Amino acid sequence: MNWKIIKSHLRVVFLTFEMTFRQNMVDSFILFTIVVQPLLIAILAMWMLRERGGDYAIFVIVGSGMSGLWSSLLFVSGNSITSERWNGNLEGLVASPTPIQFAVFGKAMANVTQSLLSMIASYSVVAVLFDVQLRMEQPLVFFSSLVLTMLTFMTFGLIISSVFVINPDVQRWQNGLEFPIFILAGFLFPISLLPGWTNPLSYILAPYWATRVLHAATVGLATSSEIILTWSMMILFGILYIALSGRMFKKMLYRARVEATLNMQ
Amino acid sequence: MIKKFTFNMRLFWQGASLSYVALFRWLTPITYMASKIVSPLAQMIFFVVLGMYATGKDSAPFYVIGNAMQITAVSGIYGVTMSIGGDRWTGTLPYLFGTPANRFFMFTGRALVHILDGMIGVFIGFFWGVALLGLDLNSANPLALLITVLVTTLSTSGLGLLLGSLSLVSLNVMFVNNTVYFLLLLFSGANVDLTKLPLWIQSFSNMLPLTRGIASARMIVNGASLGDVAPLLFQEFIMGMIYISLGYFLFRWFEMQAKRKGTLEAI
Repeated sequence: MNWKIIKSHLRVVFLTFEMTFRQNMVDSFILFTIVVQPLLIAILAMWMLRERGGDYAIFVIVGSGMSGLWSSLLFVSGNSITSERWNGNLEGLVASPTPIQFAVFGKAMANVTQSLLSMIASYSVVAVLFDVQLRMEQPLVFFSSLVLTMLTFMTFGLIISSVFVINPDVQRWQNGLEFPIFILAGFLFPISLLPGWTNPLSYILAPYWATRVLHAATVGLATSSEIILTWSMMILFGILYIALSGRMFKKMLYRARVEATLNMQ
Repeated sequence: MIKKFTFNMRLFWQGASLSYVALFRWLTPITYMASKIVSPLAQMIFFVVLGMYATGKDSAPFYVIGNAMQITAVSGIYGVTMSIGGDRWTGTLPYLFGTPANRFFMFTGRALVHILDGMIGVFIGFFWGVALLGLDLNSANPLALLITVLVTTLSTSGLGLLLGSLSLVSLNVMFVNNTVYFLLLLFSGANVDLTKLPLWIQSFSNMLPLTRGIASARMIVNGASLGDVAPLLFQEFIMGMIYISLGYFLFRWFEMQAKRKGTLEAI
């Protein structure tokens, strides 16, 4: 692949990013998912965890922010190819010389970047409404982990969107997949509260490792070994998601070009 | 007179069943399981575990009851609203408003199946509470609990009817629905002891459906009789009637405005 082709593909990624970003900012469903819902979850969690005492505000902000990130991934990135199918653009996208993965990655990039709004909104509202001290013990680790989290989530977006297109039966579970990940990834409580048999399920979820290191960084418990473990897991999952998505997209393109069943649901 | 009544009842029943069928035309058993069983169960488990993390394992029944009752909002808010608002999106509104049918029966009929569906959802929630989360219903009076669930589902569907009427004039129906659903989760007392919140929040909570229903359900599970919770249930019922009346008023107002301005099919 020469530089000219790479440049052209990157152009597609950034243009899709820009277009999706603009569209999302005026979509009330997306604004609810990335701003309103995490904010309301943050307020509720603040009220509930008040009984527990201690320095829980930053924990709530990170947890509710992660919930926004996951909801956005599930409902917005998850629908990124399906929505093109509904709009009748999917065949055009598939037929264009740039592989469709680049367009989908641009969309996932926009969605995940916008999801950061959930953390920013939770931070602002909790600070103002609850008048609490918000301290970040390891800011460098936190922000580095956040960047890695975003990248992992973008690759997860590639998987989830292609799975939903290839297998509409899986997409029917979309509504039922939101809260289970809130639970298994330990966004707002430690997974040690859950029955032991659920822990392996948490370990195979990238959001769990992301949440674990982000929570640890806020309270200064992100030791070197913890950082190495969590980052390695996120990188491993990222690579796995990219490899799997390659196969998924291949299958999708086969359906588009050979079976001509892509626009059928 | 009897003929007219029979006609209106037929309209009520047909509106009730057909609007439900039309709303869930996309429904398959998998979708129903995901939307009505798995999703509410997962939401319930999330808030119950969060509550236990906050206040200890002994407080689990408080959260189980609150969240089981809150499940009624899935049908009461989303289902009822979409049953009314769906006519606008599918283009059937002009036909509906072109008929001489009784508007009150047409309007309220949309909620009936969702009330039954919502009640089933709440009982599924209680079942999960007993089976998975250790809820003890031995002291509960079944009839009192049934009436509490019925009245609460009715009042929540009343708010759904009001939102349904709003969906005829608003483009952001899902935004409104989602926000109201989460506001109920926040202010109905499903997850927070309302007496520990500021007075203005308590006043706001008292204007919502569900609040008194959840309080009644908690009392019944703790052994209270139907007589003990009757005042709360009466207030919950009145609250539902207020929301239904407001919704109906808005529905009629929308019809008049839309006919006058020619905006019946504006989307």
